[in-house]
Amino acid sequence: MLACLCAVLWHLPAVPALNRTGDPGPGPSIQKTYDLTRYLEHQLRSLAGTYLNYLGPPFNEPDFNPPRLGAETLPRATVNLEVWRSLNDRLRLTQNYEAYSHLLCYLRGLNRQAATAELRRSLAHFCTSLQGLLGSIAGVMAALGYPLPQPLPGTEPTWTPGPAHSDFLQKMDDFWLLKELQTWLWRSAKDFNRLKKKMQPPAAAVTLHLEAHGF
Amino acid sequence: MAAPVPWACCAVLAAAAAVVYAQRHGPQETPHVQYERLGSDVTLPCGTANWDAAVTWRVNGTDLAPDLLNGSQLVLRGLELGHSGVYACFHRDSWHLRHQVLLNVGLPPREPVLSCRSNTYPKGFYCSWHLPTPTYIPNTFNVTVLHGSKIMVCEKDPALKNRCHIRYMHLFSTVKYKVSISVSNALGHNATAITFDEFTIVKPDPPENVVARPVPSNPRRLEVTWQTPSTWPDPESFPLKFFLRYRPLILDQWQHVELSDGTAHTITDAYAGKEYIIQVAAKDNEIGTWSDWSVAAHATPWTEEPRHLTTEAQAPETTTSTTSSLAPPPTTKICDPGELGSGGGPSAPFFISVLVTLALAAAAAAAATAGNLLI
Repeated sequence: MLACLCAVLWHLPAVPALNRTGDPGPGPSIQKTYDLTRYLEHQLRSLAGTYLNYLGPPFNEPDFNPPRLGAETLPRATVNLEVWRSLNDRLRLTQNYEAYSHLLCYLRGLNRQAATAELRRSLAHFCTSLQGLLGSIAGVMAALGYPLPQPLPGTEPTWTPGPAHSDFLQKMDDFWLLKELQTWLWRSAKDFNRLKKKMQPPAAAVTLHLEAHGF
Repeated sequence: MAAPVPWACCAVLAAAAAVVYAQRHGPQETPHVQYERLGSDVTLPCGTANWDAAVTWRVNGTDLAPDLLNGSQLVLRGLELGHSGVYACFHRDSWHLRHQVLLNVGLPPREPVLSCRSNTYPKGFYCSWHLPTPTYIPNTFNVTVLHGSKIMVCEKDPALKNRCHIRYMHLFSTVKYKVSISVSNALGHNATAITFDEFTIVKPDPPENVVARPVPSNPRRLEVTWQTPSTWPDPESFPLKFFLRYRPLILDQWQHVELSDGTAHTITDAYAGKEYIIQVAAKDNEIGTWSDWSVAAHATPWTEEPRHLTTEAQAPETTTSTTSSLAPPPTTKICDPGELGSGGGPSAPFFISVLVTLALAAAAAAAATAGNLLI
């Protein structure tokens, strides 16, 4: 069973107090958070490809479609459409923050077990970026005056290497971790889109002028 | 030849009478429906008649040659589509209808082609299917949609009979969807299935109402506007980005612009006076694929109207000073009045002044494009 000890994360000090004078509001930091999710999603694509190849078949097969068993403690991105639409800003941000806190913890566990140095390097890099995303979300929440979620005493997740955990089941857990991470990043992009629209004036158009030859 | 005609006439009447008799005499005379494979051979027995019974076969009312018979059975070899029809066998002497067969020649279905797409994300997606080759006989399709282990309902499209729609209950799912279709007809059956993630099938419809307009007093600009496709249900939460491509009709090379927001763009590097073709495509900002290209818009940038210098003391604003005189530029050939024929038509001096005006206007336009531009 996947479980995670991340005392360090939960006691993350609040983001250094923002200089409120001349504060442009949460808009720019929402945009930054959105951009980070896109960057991470891009990074994850190559990381997941490499990691799944390391796990070997059937995990790296594109048609692999296993039933969702185990990995119950993974934060799930899936949500009822109407519920998702009607989330208030605070809840939306909190769910993102909590999800990535857990996912980062599990990823660090993955890093501990990873066999090759190259994999460990990629995972470490990704963990750093993910930490950056967490900080960014925390910044948005602080700017909006929402408290960071604190774990209830006794429910702090602890990571224990499951002794009876078979190799195959462990790989299944890894597979679902990566899948859930990818889905959360897509969901976050949509979450932050919604927040962006509510906070900002219409964003300026970004024009990329390309001249294509023989297109 | 008078003799065969009344005889043929009687035969036709007799056949008609037999058919009417057959139709009036009960359910055992309704044709037995039979499906046979294209290219195969089939032997049609005349109902329960003995092999050596004397019968005549007809197809759709036309007599069939006796060399097709094997006793009382009709043998058809190498079935073609044209063999489809109502085959009836009659007792030769009494014209009593013994048996009727509605023969349909066709093929068993090949593997169907199935595809799914979400142009209404996050509301739902649709799947459509077709057979790669026709079967010529009726087919029934059965579609099932599985999300993990959960069965979802695929509602038939009210207008298109090879399409059905599925509504998303949950978004951001890590579990794939599996859509299976089976097709069967009287000669066989086939099936196929596809599996996909929620995000991979997102493909909006093309942008609508793409309009391109020239910009007054700007010979190198075109203003393009469009609308998000009306089928995209929630552009606020699921914004679209756009890709615009344009080229003058006379060139093959497209220019591209990617726009992350907004439904308008001004092209600023159009070739003056050339007609342009412009198209736009749309994509969800993060997931899925680009739509097809929109219907093309055509436009030509604004060009200045040539003016008659005989009515204007001033040259047009955009010309340089060298063309402000009435003298034609040295490179422009002016028709020698002596070359003009005599007779009907405008008088020579008028013709010359028209030519001069046109030459100056051409020079003015050339100066405008070659010189400083208003960008």
